Amino acid sequence: MAGSPKVSPLLQGLIDKGLFDQLPATFSTFFYDQIKDWDLLFPAEHSYHERLFGLIDRSDPALVNSLFAPVRAAEAKMGVTEKSWPKRQFTLDQVDFLNRSPHYPEWRKAISDVFGRLDPVLDAELSRAGRPRLVVVTSPDELPVGPDRMWLRILKHGRRVPVEPGAFHFDFATNTAYDTWKIQAEGPPEKHGSAVHLSYEALKPYRTRLMSEVRHIVEAEQIRGPRQLGSRLKELKMRPDESGLAGDPVLAEFTRAVLLNGNGTLLINNTFVEWASVQAVRRARPSLVSISFGVRNKVKPFSSLLIYTDQDTASPVSTQRDMLGTYVDLEIFYQYIWQEFEKYAEYRRNTAYVFVADGMDELMVIAPTDFPLMSVRGSVHPDRVSAICREWMGL
Amino acid sequence: MAEISKRRFLQLAGLTLAGRISPQVAEADPLQHPPRVIIVTFGGGVRYSETFAPEGLRNIPRLAEMRPHGFFYQSCSNSGVLSHFNSTASIISGNWQRVDDFGFQPPASPTLFEYHQKQAGAGPSRAWVVATNKSFAQIAPQGANVVLPKQLLLDAVRDIVNKPSGEGVADRENVQRRLESLLSEGYEGVGWTIFKAGRQLDRHVHETLTRALVEYINGPEAPSSGDELTFFMTREIMREFAPRLILVNFWDMDVAHWGSYSLYLQAITRTDRLTGMLWDEIQSNKSYKDKTTMLVLPELGRDGDQNTANGFLNHRSGDPSCRRMWMLAMGVGAAPGETERPVQHVDVMATAAELLGMKVSDISGKPLRELVG
Repeated sequence: MAGSPKVSPLLQGLIDKGLFDQLPATFSTFFYDQIKDWDLLFPAEHSYHERLFGLIDRSDPALVNSLFAPVRAAEAKMGVTEKSWPKRQFTLDQVDFLNRSPHYPEWRKAISDVFGRLDPVLDAELSRAGRPRLVVVTSPDELPVGPDRMWLRILKHGRRVPVEPGAFHFDFATNTAYDTWKIQAEGPPEKHGSAVHLSYEALKPYRTRLMSEVRHIVEAEQIRGPRQLGSRLKELKMRPDESGLAGDPVLAEFTRAVLLNGNGTLLINNTFVEWASVQAVRRARPSLVSISFGVRNKVKPFSSLLIYTDQDTASPVSTQRDMLGTYVDLEIFYQYIWQEFEKYAEYRRNTAYVFVADGMDELMVIAPTDFPLMSVRGSVHPDRVSAICREWMGL
Repeated sequence: MAEISKRRFLQLAGLTLAGRISPQVAEADPLQHPPRVIIVTFGGGVRYSETFAPEGLRNIPRLAEMRPHGFFYQSCSNSGVLSHFNSTASIISGNWQRVDDFGFQPPASPTLFEYHQKQAGAGPSRAWVVATNKSFAQIAPQGANVVLPKQLLLDAVRDIVNKPSGEGVADRENVQRRLESLLSEGYEGVGWTIFKAGRQLDRHVHETLTRALVEYINGPEAPSSGDELTFFMTREIMREFAPRLILVNFWDMDVAHWGSYSLYLQAITRTDRLTGMLWDEIQSNKSYKDKTTMLVLPELGRDGDQNTANGFLNHRSGDPSCRRMWMLAMGVGAAPGETERPVQHVDVMATAAELLGMKVSDISGKPLRELVG
């Protein structure tokens, strides 16, 4: 069908039978946009879309109508018509239309209520297929505090465990594509089987080019605003000489989106790590994730507004590391990351979160009671921690 | 008969009136024109949790110190579009604005500045907007001088580097390049058209401010942030022109979009300090002391930590953390006290108009009875 994206046979069948066209325009066009680059989506995203629309398709039509009735009512008040809202085409203009409507809060609530009814059903399917998952969050060793000042926002959900001196090594991975992720601020990416490796530092050639090209686009082409800029940014694809990720179109596009859609991800290492982690969870739903933060550099005088400029070269002032600022930044990121995983059924009640800090004599763990570190007595050696994690994952 | 818009009517009336008033009358001694209103917005957005919530007070020591001396509204809400331009435009127009988020359209109804121009017969030096974001060049299309300090800084530095002094050419070029980049600000990560001079200032005004800025950036108090520049320019405007009506839009805290919580907190504390310094200036400047009401409020909040987007980094979710803020009124009309009574951003314009003795109509905001009696 003209205008239809290339999707899986199952989803194509649902589109062909008119399922999408029967749904409220704001809802269906959004999902058309989500699936239009089907080949650049992760397997978890394929599965989600098939399950979501499969559920709607096999539900009682009267029930579906009543489920979406408040959305249709809100759309009518907003003035959504076939003319103002062409089917199968979702743009930033439409986002703007929604945001600026006086009925936006009503529409948003109606959409939220739809998912409030659908998600529990979809989640129940996932919970039945639940399996152990592991998230390791590593902090740099230069933080100016002791373990008693670490992880304070989420400590009430877990426990501290004394750790003997030694280095942590979480050098294992599952064998499934996109199921193990290593996201780090510093250092070259470490290779472990099929794991996805993202390193802010290693992405410097791509980051630098992106900053330069975006600056050029904004200045030379007199781009008026985000709607005009959006399509140009999509063209800034990763080159093979900039990163090995370029060989995988899904990961290359994921990285481009993280760097250009995430605020501050081009400039601040830990913002990149946090946003990449959040996006990996939302999109790929990996089983094993290792997240390593670094130390953020101090912002140079007058440079706090230079979004698309390499701070190292923009100012002659020497670069300094901001240890205290990093500590403050990370305390809230620990919370955001833990919360993000827990939003999804795949992770609830079966995920062990291990927060470690290089050089500190305590770690913090949030996990189901059967995760051994939740009941261990006395201090443990880092090697034992690694072994426990590996056993938990069945590797 | 073609329908004439309310804005157009005011524009025509203002222009006609202005044409009949001699410059001497229009620019009369400022001491003859009390009262005065200064609206200070924490632009960029700040959450309750980092300001007047118990755990946030440490970030705003000056405002916390000022609060017992003014009137505090515990709940002042933004029920409009949660973008910077629309939020501030709603504050100064008394109606929820739903125009282009990036300043490519003016507010859809007249602003306080337009009413002021018409009813006070005031010349352009009597009302000012001091802002950072380029989009604000269009926020008060009639009735105010809009000054974007960073634009002036660029002009000033251009003047400096273009002088054939023969020293440090490479460094001066570097400075020039960096300062030009400053103008590409906008933490939401997309490029807006760079307004080459914002709203064109009167040549004399422009030269006055630029000269002051050149002295400032070469002096011992060289600014290191946009908000320090904003404060400095506001103070210079108060001392030089003593306007009756000023909107000061601080902006540094929008660094939150970068994802650094510590930089966000630092920016809040800096804005708190500068707001306190602005109040100190009001208290020490005879054109303002005992004649001025200062209204301080966040332009918008930011997403809550539990939000599905990414917490403090953004401000579009519409959750209570985004919408529910506070307002602190200081000075004339603001007897010490506070209330839990919910008020709204659009009430600010109605209140300011009444404080200035102006009549406004067709606005959804209501004057705040605690301030206007």
